[in-house]
Amino acid sequence: MPETKTLLALFKDIDPAAEAIDRLRGMGIGDDQMNIISGIPVTERMLGRPRQWSNVPRLAMGGAVAGLLIGLFLAFGTPSLYTIHVGGQSIFPGPPTVVVLFEMTMLGMLVSTFLGVFLDSYLPSYRPKEYVPEISDGNIAILFTCPVDAEPSFIEAMTSLGAQSVHPTEVGQL
Amino acid sequence: MAVTAETLEHAHLEDHEDPRQHLMLDPKPRGEMNALVMESMHATSWKFWVVAAILALVVAVCLFGAWGYMISEGLVLSGVNRPTYWGIFLVNTVFWIGISHAGTFVSALLRVFKAEFRRPFTRAAELMTGFGLVQAGLSIFMHMGRVWITYWMVPYPNERGLWPNFHSPLSWDFLAINTYLLSSTMYLFLPLIPDLAMARDRSTGWRKIFYRLLALGFRGTEGEWTHLRIAMNIFAFAILPVMFSVHTIVAWDFAAATRPGWSSTIFGPYFVVGALQSGIAAVAMVLVVIRSTMKNMKYFIRAEHFDALGKLMLVVSMAWAYFFFNDYTVQWYGGDKFTHVLLHFHEAGPLGWMWFGMLISNVAIPWLLLWNKKIRRNPGLLFIIGLFINVGMWIERYIIIPISLTINREPFTWRLYKPGIEIVLGIGTLAFFILLYMIASRLVPLVPVWEVQEGQLAHGLRRVGKATVTSVSELE
Amino acid sequence: MGDLFEEFEHKWGMVIDQDLCTGCQACVIACAMENNSPFVGEKDAGYGRSLQWIRIERFWEGQFPNVKATPFQPVMCQQCGYAPCEPVCPVFASVHSEAQQINVQVYNRCVGTRYCANNCPYQVRVFNFRDYERPEPLPNQLNPSVTVRRRGIMEKCTFCVQRIVVGEDLAKSENRQVIEGEVVPACAQVCPTEAIVFGRLDDPKSQVSQLSRSGRGVKLLEELGKLPSVTYLKGGSSYGRNG
Repeated sequence: MPETKTLLALFKDIDPAAEAIDRLRGMGIGDDQMNIISGIPVTERMLGRPRQWSNVPRLAMGGAVAGLLIGLFLAFGTPSLYTIHVGGQSIFPGPPTVVVLFEMTMLGMLVSTFLGVFLDSYLPSYRPKEYVPEISDGNIAILFTCPVDAEPSFIEAMTSLGAQSVHPTEVGQL
Repeated sequence: MAVTAETLEHAHLEDHEDPRQHLMLDPKPRGEMNALVMESMHATSWKFWVVAAILALVVAVCLFGAWGYMISEGLVLSGVNRPTYWGIFLVNTVFWIGISHAGTFVSALLRVFKAEFRRPFTRAAELMTGFGLVQAGLSIFMHMGRVWITYWMVPYPNERGLWPNFHSPLSWDFLAINTYLLSSTMYLFLPLIPDLAMARDRSTGWRKIFYRLLALGFRGTEGEWTHLRIAMNIFAFAILPVMFSVHTIVAWDFAAATRPGWSSTIFGPYFVVGALQSGIAAVAMVLVVIRSTMKNMKYFIRAEHFDALGKLMLVVSMAWAYFFFNDYTVQWYGGDKFTHVLLHFHEAGPLGWMWFGMLISNVAIPWLLLWNKKIRRNPGLLFIIGLFINVGMWIERYIIIPISLTINREPFTWRLYKPGIEIVLGIGTLAFFILLYMIASRLVPLVPVWEVQEGQLAHGLRRVGKATVTSVSELE
Repeated sequence: MGDLFEEFEHKWGMVIDQDLCTGCQACVIACAMENNSPFVGEKDAGYGRSLQWIRIERFWEGQFPNVKATPFQPVMCQQCGYAPCEPVCPVFASVHSEAQQINVQVYNRCVGTRYCANNCPYQVRVFNFRDYERPEPLPNQLNPSVTVRRRGIMEKCTFCVQRIVVGEDLAKSENRQVIEGEVVPACAQVCPTEAIVFGRLDDPKSQVSQLSRSGRGVKLLEELGKLPSVTYLKGGSSYGRNG
């Protein structure tokens, strides 16, 4: 099995980065061997990357259902368990039930959306990672694994397309 | 008609308008913008420390000190009596919740409507939401007779055989305000993560440890951005009904009661529009202060933003006037005798000058001034107009709460309300709000630089016929 | 948790004859003594913070010198059937007693939001703004059957529920019904003209039931539909003032 190495090519603009990704694909690097890190959200459409799937919408719906169930417990469960008559109103009053159900559903949806972002992104994580600070300055980094022997040709290919720098990645504390 | 897209350098402008006065058409390299934002956080003059020290003193004495004294003595120190059992504490609560709607309006409503001018100040507005809700929460706790057992309003399994009463609008308040507080804090934090990562990359020392901790290890991979963007979209759409529901439920604290002048069916939307009015005016005021006191903010916050906010203030003022007139007309026309006495008391009673002051501040001043582009684009003038609007909105809630409570169906109990320690505590909450904001301006990058860069990427100039026009692309 | 559900026992009600009321305020004092109401002092009372559970309302008609007095109106908690103070309390401190069909205020549950007081159309609820002093030997006067309230708690007339419960328990232990006139609240007890009549509205033969059906009977703010349990008799008979 040939040894592989992970290189990081840093680009300043989106166009050369998109071209570089095409070139890498042409040179035999699969999409799953590439990782794009950027300082602004560059969509898959712009870079010609496969669609990213996210669990966040499903988690949001699940959270909404969970919130609804909690709301149902508060609005129907607690008055049945501990019945107290107030104001001549029914034990399960209409409008207050709507309010409680709505608020708990929204709370469930939003909290689970928030937590879903971290769940899907495996954050927070403070272990050392492959990163360069230039990324938050608006640069686009393409991390790709290539065979060690072909490393010079990849470096040359990236540089010819306008990469600011191409070097092996270093795993470091962010 | 041929349309050609030309790069900025080659754009020929027939108009005398320089496109670079628009932030979105005046891009700087991201690294430079990052440096501007970091510098505005770090550059702290001695004046800042003096103001912060004074505010901290005011908070210690007028807020926590006075409140502690009131807890030990009882509500006898306040101006509350029969029949005005709610006074300035509730006025402040509703006022601060109104201010808190600023953030959601800017970051959610404007985002949903793709109003690009929101980009540089979404975070400044969202911070107002969080800190405003803190003050609202404090004001609500202050008005409680036995604040040390307020936790009985929390629905949790307990050994008392009692859950909160969900028939009560105050329980709905509890659920709604907490949902809103949590949601807007989460919505503040999500777009903040990339900027925290930027700050982490550009900091040293204790700041680096602080930002590294809060940035949660964010790098900007495709996956992270995708999840973040999807979540922000969900939040933007979902937090809007929450925002509307919060102030509607606060309005129902009054509308659900059987008091003349209170049981008005229009209170729900009336309060929401009132909250938007005071919120937008407060955002304008805060932006003026940020722009004039913080370094480099003049690049990000420009006349065009004040122009847009001024237009919003005018439109919302018209909406407020519509709802106010609605509420007033139906009570004036078909109200019972106590409602009529109440309306007369509002206008011609001992505090009638407040009623007229409210109408002048909320209606006359915006309508007479905000139609003028030069006035809107002038930060100083917009600050004054915003101040008038906020004072007018505070007066509106004062009229609705203690003044309306004076008149009820038992004339023998009618009595005026004279504020007591509430004024001191109110000043304390205002000082606390400003202090929290000042501290946040040192710790949190106030401008979402990645969103500004994203917007600048999406904006361009193109030729349509002989005119050069701005065009905005949909990047997502 | 045990049986939390109350069963209906009696419906207690009151009739106040405004043509007999002389405005002497004996009921106010008796109520304060019976129910351990504190003395708030002149300043607080002048500012509307007195802790009277019953108040005598005095009005007049006309301008001076042609002023005509109207009948005195003692107002206390009307113990509404559909009490508006009940649903608005976030912690269930104001609840409906199924057994006595009155509105009960649970002192140790109250957190002091005062929404109940705002929602009461009769404005009969009062609030403990501070811990009131009782210099010696006043604590000797306290009624041991009634809680002494501390600051931050709402309170109101309870139809002397402590006396109702004693009467009901006595009747139950003796296996009989409550006798007419056995349960008398403090205000009814001291009224010199017997203008306040108290008893069981669920017994059609009781004096209070018969008087409440009188042609002179009105209820306060009846149009609000809160079903108050107190009926006021007024008709301007020769017993009343100014004919």
